[in-house]
Amino acid sequence: MTADPTQLKITTQINISGTALCVTRVPESGKLYFGGSDFKLYRVDSLSEKPTPTALAEKGHDSYVTGVALAGASLVSGGYDQRLIWWNQESGEQVKAVDAHDLWIRKVVASPDGSVVASVADDMHCKLWDAATGQLIHQLDDHKAETPHNYPSMLYAVTFSRDGKWLATGDKVGHIAVWDTESGRKIAELEAPKLYTWDPRQRRHSIGGLRSLAFSHDGRLLAAGGIGTIGNIDHLGGPSRVEIFDWQKGERVHEIEDDKYKGLVEQMQFSHDGKWFIAAGGDNGGFFSIYNTETGKLISQVKAPMHIHEFSVSEDSSSAFAVGHGKIALFELKSVRPDVPPAPETKA
Amino acid sequence: MKRPGSIFCGSSDHGLSRRAFLGTGAAATAGTFAADMTQLDAFKNEVVAGELKKQGKKVILLWLAGGASQFETWDPKPGRPTGGPFRAIQTASTGVQISELLPKMSQHMDKTAIIRSLNTRVGDHGGGAALMETGRKKDPGILYPDLGAVVARELGRADSQVPDYVSMYTSTEGRRKGTSGFLGSRYAPMFLAEKPIPENMRRLDTISDVDHQDRAELRSLLSKQFVQGRKSDTLGSHTSAYQRVRGLMASEQLFNIENEPDAVRARYGPRQFAQQCLVARRLVEAGVPFVKVARAWWDSHGQNFETHRELCADLDHAMSTLIDDLDERGLLKDTLIITLAEFGRTPTINASLGRDHFANAWSCSLTGTGIRGGVAYGKTDPDGHNVAEGEVGAGQLFATILEALGVDPEKEIFVGSRPIPLADFGCHAVKDVLI
Repeated sequence: MTADPTQLKITTQINISGTALCVTRVPESGKLYFGGSDFKLYRVDSLSEKPTPTALAEKGHDSYVTGVALAGASLVSGGYDQRLIWWNQESGEQVKAVDAHDLWIRKVVASPDGSVVASVADDMHCKLWDAATGQLIHQLDDHKAETPHNYPSMLYAVTFSRDGKWLATGDKVGHIAVWDTESGRKIAELEAPKLYTWDPRQRRHSIGGLRSLAFSHDGRLLAAGGIGTIGNIDHLGGPSRVEIFDWQKGERVHEIEDDKYKGLVEQMQFSHDGKWFIAAGGDNGGFFSIYNTETGKLISQVKAPMHIHEFSVSEDSSSAFAVGHGKIALFELKSVRPDVPPAPETKA
Repeated sequence: MKRPGSIFCGSSDHGLSRRAFLGTGAAATAGTFAADMTQLDAFKNEVVAGELKKQGKKVILLWLAGGASQFETWDPKPGRPTGGPFRAIQTASTGVQISELLPKMSQHMDKTAIIRSLNTRVGDHGGGAALMETGRKKDPGILYPDLGAVVARELGRADSQVPDYVSMYTSTEGRRKGTSGFLGSRYAPMFLAEKPIPENMRRLDTISDVDHQDRAELRSLLSKQFVQGRKSDTLGSHTSAYQRVRGLMASEQLFNIENEPDAVRARYGPRQFAQQCLVARRLVEAGVPFVKVARAWWDSHGQNFETHRELCADLDHAMSTLIDDLDERGLLKDTLIITLAEFGRTPTINASLGRDHFANAWSCSLTGTGIRGGVAYGKTDPDGHNVAEGEVGAGQLFATILEALGVDPEKEIFVGSRPIPLADFGCHAVKDVLI
């Protein structure tokens, strides 16, 4: 199937209880594992006739499940209980649990070859784990424990490059570090301070933070997502915001803000050919937006039926499986004439 | 009508008030009593005993403006659909658990009582704040004083050289100055909004001290002429406020924390809320009976957990440091620390991971003088939707606070011929949280 970002539409909605915060997908399928606010990890075949989520186990995490990744044969989840849990995909039983961090785990991702799992947490460490054994490989430290205003910071985002050579981490104040995964050495730093709003006068606290990172297909570009400056920080009432960096040059290539659909950009992913990328998230509602990588212009956009926390894109970029507040939603970006490869058009 | 326990005969002219009893030079008078107690039959008088009991009592109100979440502070519900992601942790009081966002306060729960069963019903900021500031519903016929003004009147000294009521509220959102209501300007708060040190407190360099005194005397003369033939408590309060000006001017240095040793300032740290708590400690140490430190803005409609991660860290550090500091100085036995807001937050977690306004089942805390530490009073249902046991309203909370300070909540103040009890009519203290 050929992907066409101009043909974006929602095809399926599945109601779930609570809020799903993370999702991973079995390759070449619609089978999903997701977790969230009820502390459980579920599996569901989203493409079946009657998709019905089933919990892997009654007891797993002791708090919100915030990250899940398929790393080869391993299914690994992380949560606010500071633990990583390895699961047997077939039986749904726990294989192993590790007290991985000293504070809340925010995200868990796997390297493209499935050999390494990365976790980030509010102890401000990024940890790389051997996916097969659960042994700690590297602890990557660069993010400050406190914001410039002396409050606890948070380490929200982590992503691998497509070749697994690099890894990027991003925190509440918009500081980004890029790492060599083999050596654990930091090789670049970037700043996206507009993703962090500090209100010194009206409310005297902050909101926002860098919530998502994604490398382009060729690894040259790094996208950082979150929310722009907010006037009233009681709500997520600011523009969704993406910054694109040519990270090796240390240059910001694009700054993209969207006032139509406000809120956090919770996740991003570049298409398999690198020509466009998806940014999704929300405030009280949700959005699913597609941008042209080269121009930074919006290609297409739909209002999502829920605040999207995470999504997984099919191998050919023609489908996306998103989870969020009370729902799973499937998005299609399929060419209406598969025999004619589309050329992405941009909207002004 | 005379109410049980009232010290009034019914006339505003014949009440045995604390001021009438103490007169001026209260500290010296109290010292005389202590020196020769056998000479005083007055000590057998309940009223006099009560007057001495409340000597030196003070209040620091930590106002969590915007409405802190009870789930992320004093009434966690881990594992429930409404509970959010944070755990409950054990505290220094066996069986009492609070949110893991307050780890330092967990070690001070032996000195702190929690009330988990507030049901105040008013879920808008203005209405909720007015209710929780005054302890009663609005009455179109009368302007009620807030807690600070009531405490200032009951515990302040006529001869005091320091303010009776200081209110710090630097954030602009939800800012409220407080009101002394029918008590008049004598009990109005010294309100600090823009700077930590009161502005316009110093005598202008262009005015000599002699000129300043002369001006005060002229004002006093004019004021006396004005009040002749007029009978008004408000006018008396106004004059009384002016009489204290020169003493208040001398208290400027109390607000300057640079006068504290480096180690003390380091202990409170760099954040404004904690520094204001240090000012509050300096003020109560100097005899200020009521200090309000407002920490805004907890109104977490979006990103409730991120907001509370940040603000609870502030509260946890500031409050625990304040408790330790007061305790080490021997002041905690006479000081009541209250955490309170206009309401709590909803059990339901909304689509942007926020919690909205909720006044039907929420919490506050009381630490220090008169309080039975380690108590968690009242109970909410498993998901925190309703009070399950020991419902407490705003009036009962006020009665509890006043009783902890040794002040009779049923004591009446006459507004014209209308008797107004300090706590709302028919509201009694929650005895379980009192010593």
